[in-house]
Amino acid sequence: MGLLSYVAKRAAFAVVTILIIMTMNFVIFRMMPGNPVAMIADMVRLRPEQVARLYELFGLDKPLWDQYVQYMVQSLRGFYGYSYYSQRPIAEDIMVRLPNTLLLVGTATVLSIVIGMVIGILAAARRGSLVDVTAISFGFLGNSVPVFWLGLILLLVFGVDLKWFPIRGTTSVPAPTDPLALVLDIMWHMTLPTFALVIILFGGYALIMRAAMIDVLTEDYIQLARAKGLDERTVLYKHALRNAMLPMVTVIALAFGFLLSGALLTETVFSWYGLGRYIWDAILKQDYPALQGIFFIISVMVVAANLIADLVYGFLDPRIRQE
Amino acid sequence: MTALLEVRGLKMHYGTVKGDVKAVDDVSFSLEAGESLGIAGESGCGKTSVALALMKLQPGNAKFLGGSITLDGMNVLALDDEKIRREVRWKRISMVPQAAMNALNPVFTVKDQIIEAILTHEDVSEKEAEKRTLELLKRVGIDPSRAGNYPHEFSGGMKQRAMIAMALACNPEIVIADEPTTALDVIVQAQVLKVIKTLQRDLGLSMILISHDLSVVAETCERTVIMYAGSIVENTSTVEMFRHPLHPYSVGLIGAFPKLTGERKRLESITGNPPNLLDPPPGCRFHPRCPHARDVCTRIVPPLLETHENHMVACHMVNRHPEYR
Repeated sequence: MGLLSYVAKRAAFAVVTILIIMTMNFVIFRMMPGNPVAMIADMVRLRPEQVARLYELFGLDKPLWDQYVQYMVQSLRGFYGYSYYSQRPIAEDIMVRLPNTLLLVGTATVLSIVIGMVIGILAAARRGSLVDVTAISFGFLGNSVPVFWLGLILLLVFGVDLKWFPIRGTTSVPAPTDPLALVLDIMWHMTLPTFALVIILFGGYALIMRAAMIDVLTEDYIQLARAKGLDERTVLYKHALRNAMLPMVTVIALAFGFLLSGALLTETVFSWYGLGRYIWDAILKQDYPALQGIFFIISVMVVAANLIADLVYGFLDPRIRQE
Repeated sequence: MTALLEVRGLKMHYGTVKGDVKAVDDVSFSLEAGESLGIAGESGCGKTSVALALMKLQPGNAKFLGGSITLDGMNVLALDDEKIRREVRWKRISMVPQAAMNALNPVFTVKDQIIEAILTHEDVSEKEAEKRTLELLKRVGIDPSRAGNYPHEFSGGMKQRAMIAMALACNPEIVIADEPTTALDVIVQAQVLKVIKTLQRDLGLSMILISHDLSVVAETCERTVIMYAGSIVENTSTVEMFRHPLHPYSVGLIGAFPKLTGERKRLESITGNPPNLLDPPPGCRFHPRCPHARDVCTRIVPPLLETHENHMVACHMVNRHPEYR
């Protein structure tokens, strides 16, 4: 009963949050300066009646309220409108790029979390040792480097000079037809961007994990676990980690929430055909529907990730389940 | 005759950036099988440091500079980590830690934490361990139906009882109770002490009870050791300690304690504060606060000597003038 009402409450919160976010998504883009039709009209020098036709086509001639209702209904149906720019349904544009982004950023995020957590735990267990100091230093360093700079350096060294890795793209052009060759080709293309992302991301996870572990390791129940004669591994991975995971869960959930937009700069630098670059292009071209659509998807992912974090929390910590 | 536990000349300092904290200096005492020993003293006098050293649970910056701890003929300080973990901790010496409130891990049930202790040291089935756990909980007065609860669902007194049950899980020879009742209100405190006393007697346990509260020691222990600034100043039977304390510090401590019966008088207090153990005074560490201090006290550390039968005290003045009593 307690657990069930906890889940129901969290889920209800999530739905309300998404509705509020959708509304804000709508408002923000209407408040932005500039006018997409004016921009297109300017580019191709349209006649006034053609401009009026465009307004009608995009629905921009209707009152704001109508636009809002239509936007909400369509969004919930999974239709985000046509891109002002590519003239194609946005859902289609997104679906083409989504797998690429999930592959790159998903791989990099999972790798950074695993590497960061292992380093954080080891550093905390040997606080003040050489392992600890080295880990923190590299973590900070990686975390502080701008990813576009790191990306360019990696491209310069491993792509241009050494020619070990390609300097752009998601696959070779033309892409290999043999499935195995295609997989290898994609992996070859994603090595450098993945590497860049892991370097800038792992430090954050390592530092948070380390801080959480150090906090927990000074608790009385850890000393008691040692007094009980438990070996150091059990103390660390059973008694300490479960408690130290609580702050990590939130951080990990947020990382997955921002999976789609998180690599905007990296995708741009490495010319990766993904959603990050799509956002970048859409911003430059004031492509309202495209941005709205993608922001909607990101919001849903962030809210869903938070909901999952809440549920995992309840599972990890009996005190929260009861609240 | 050798005692179950012998501590001889134990010296342990903590390394800090400001220098060494001389937390335990030349501490010697012994514990017979079945005996209950109370260690009393102010906060920071080294009581807990001694207790932790017995299980080699001292913090990382601790340094052993001398002495020995012998458990049943085995030198505890010489054992490697693996051996001490398997053979001493919880199996032969267990503890009810300071602030038992926080000593239970919040994310595991009380039952599981006790079962874990049994399974670590004994080759029994999980079912058997659970059965024993429920019996133990019953023994300390906790309804076995609450065994599957999490620590936050227990009251302070219940957590303390559960800790006592856990301490007994592997039938240890020695239980160290470090301030077992300090965080509890007086009524719960009395109940918990009663549980400890009964179990100690029924199971023939040896016990070391550490407390800054003399009344707790007086009520529970057969023998009392008084520590001051990292050293033992007096060691005798509890009755003798309260009737005829010899060391000026013990006299002061006991004098600072109101009596329920007897005349009403102003409580005496010991002037001054305990010394900074980074740089303790030379000679007798109590001399700056001692009303009887002479020149010799400022220069020479008084040894702990048996001045009267079964009564050891570390004081130049007592040693020289038995009639000081």
